Amino acid sequence: MTEEVVVDQLVDAELAYKIQQFYFREAEMLDDGHFADWLEIFEEDLFYFAPLRTNRLRRQAALSIGREGEAAYFDETKESLAWRIRRYDSGMAWAEDPPSRTRHLISNVTARWASPTELRVRSAFLVYRNRLQTETDIYSGGRTDIIRVREDGSFGVARREILFDINVLMAKNLSTFF
Amino acid sequence: MSDCTSHTSEANASIGRMSRPEAFTQNIDVSTLVDSDGGLIDRSIYTETSIYAQEQRRIFARSWLFLAHTSQFKKPGDFFTTFMGEDPIIVTMDKTKTIRAYLNSCRHRGVRLCRADAGATKMFTCTYHGWSFDLAGALQSVPNEKAYPEDFDRKQWGLIEVPNVQSYKGLIFGNWDKDAQSLEENLGDMRYYMDAMLDRDPEGTEVMGGVMKWTLEGNWKLAAEQFATDWYHVNMSHASALMVLSPTGRGPKAEIAATPGRQFGSENGHGAGFPTHPKSRFDARPVHEYYDYEALRERLGDAAVEGPMTTGHATVFPNFSYLPVNGSIRVWHPKGPDKMEVWAWVLVDKSMPDEVKDAQRLYNLRTFGPSGIFEADDGENWSEIQAISHGFVTNNVPLNFQMGIGSERNDGTYPGQTSELYSDAAGRAFYRHWSKQMNTPAWHERTEQA
Repeated sequence: MTEEVVVDQLVDAELAYKIQQFYFREAEMLDDGHFADWLEIFEEDLFYFAPLRTNRLRRQAALSIGREGEAAYFDETKESLAWRIRRYDSGMAWAEDPPSRTRHLISNVTARWASPTELRVRSAFLVYRNRLQTETDIYSGGRTDIIRVREDGSFGVARREILFDINVLMAKNLSTFF
Repeated sequence: MSDCTSHTSEANASIGRMSRPEAFTQNIDVSTLVDSDGGLIDRSIYTETSIYAQEQRRIFARSWLFLAHTSQFKKPGDFFTTFMGEDPIIVTMDKTKTIRAYLNSCRHRGVRLCRADAGATKMFTCTYHGWSFDLAGALQSVPNEKAYPEDFDRKQWGLIEVPNVQSYKGLIFGNWDKDAQSLEENLGDMRYYMDAMLDRDPEGTEVMGGVMKWTLEGNWKLAAEQFATDWYHVNMSHASALMVLSPTGRGPKAEIAATPGRQFGSENGHGAGFPTHPKSRFDARPVHEYYDYEALRERLGDAAVEGPMTTGHATVFPNFSYLPVNGSIRVWHPKGPDKMEVWAWVLVDKSMPDEVKDAQRLYNLRTFGPSGIFEADDGENWSEIQAISHGFVTNNVPLNFQMGIGSERNDGTYPGQTSELYSDAAGRAFYRHWSKQMNTPAWHERTEQA
């Protein structure tokens, strides 16, 4: 990276465009069911985390998002995600057989420099899942990623925090990724 | 100090000359819908609104229902909100450090009093008109109280208290029946099986932060019954998860899949099943390596260590279930005949080092959380039972619970009546008790003799 990097400053238009395309390609991989390819967007030391959200009195609002080390929707490494993906390939993962239809919509992307080689990128998602005949789930939430910009300019997600906009999960499971 | 705390008080709901017409509570005789001896269940018990309403009166209003874990309350004013059946409940620690439970509904106009899932407070103040209740449930202040009639007595308008709150080794249960058989008596032989999870550590257990909550199409009994009685589904339903977890990546060896084991069924509807094959462990490696099995054999006995401490399943009637292998404790909250809400906690031994607790937590989430590789396949089965069960012909075709009929016996090793691991014995016991409770008037139906 030759350009001057200012931490917390929004990235320039070209990099913003590349990040957006990176997310759109990620969404395509998930919706096409190419989970093994999807896994490759992550760095080896990945932390993939989706905390629980509880209703708290306003004066205790700081506690409304679960912390690391507590029960969570996802608390994953690259290895544990690989484990989940291998399950789908077993041919006996009945909860996704026949597979659901999903559409991952990604928007509200803001990318800032977190360090000279890392970006902090926030985005919003709306994931639609339609399953079997009429089962329909909508998962809404936001993501905060730490994305490493590699020497060759490609991206690797090192950390992803997913914040679902829910208290009780209004679906019978989380069998897609976000 | 006893590990069983108890607190009772009078529910004070009956005021004035109010009473409800009998037409509200017409009861259905369910004896022809459940054939516990022949192993047949009529599908209407999962779909009929009238049966669901009767369950609220005769199952949930009179059974010991799991409320919370003692580690969720550290100081007076700590509270947690949950449900008993469909009734909203506040569980809190009062000034004397006694755990008490109240109906989470303002006595004035009925608003849900506390809208937070958990927290700490000194008073519960209603956001509608400001009636304010202390930790003992007493009505402490009423704005414009002078406008009420002279005989208005705040003492009569305290929170409706769950009259019977007792705990067993960290698990707090509540019962609306103040004359109910004590929790320990009701659990009976089930305590032996629960101890294999709750009593490994002299320091006891605690829950790690947060309750995972998710919704599911499916009658609550489908899940409760499965956790009581069903090892049979494991090899088929969870084939993909077993494959991923097995060291070879090809699934468990045949000898493990065909493991022997026992299944306990209680006359109070509780059930537990467990393999007794010494190599059928599926717990997280750091947890397995942490345990001092010799000390556990000393503490719990050989049979408990080789049986219910391993991979197993259990239900405390009616809707509390657990898995000893990963510390998943959960409630199947009924939400209408066709829906349930699952609330699941992560239970660990207090003395475990942090990294072992964390291994247990991760294993719990990744296998039996809402994204868990086992949980998803169970949920799919239950929702696919429910989704089609309103068809007239479908609903008329009874379900089969005949595996292991007549195999129940006292085997001299495991307490109570046990059957084979692969059996429906605990399911038959669950429904036998369900049916008996459904056909027996509850405390709130005992009318005074004129």
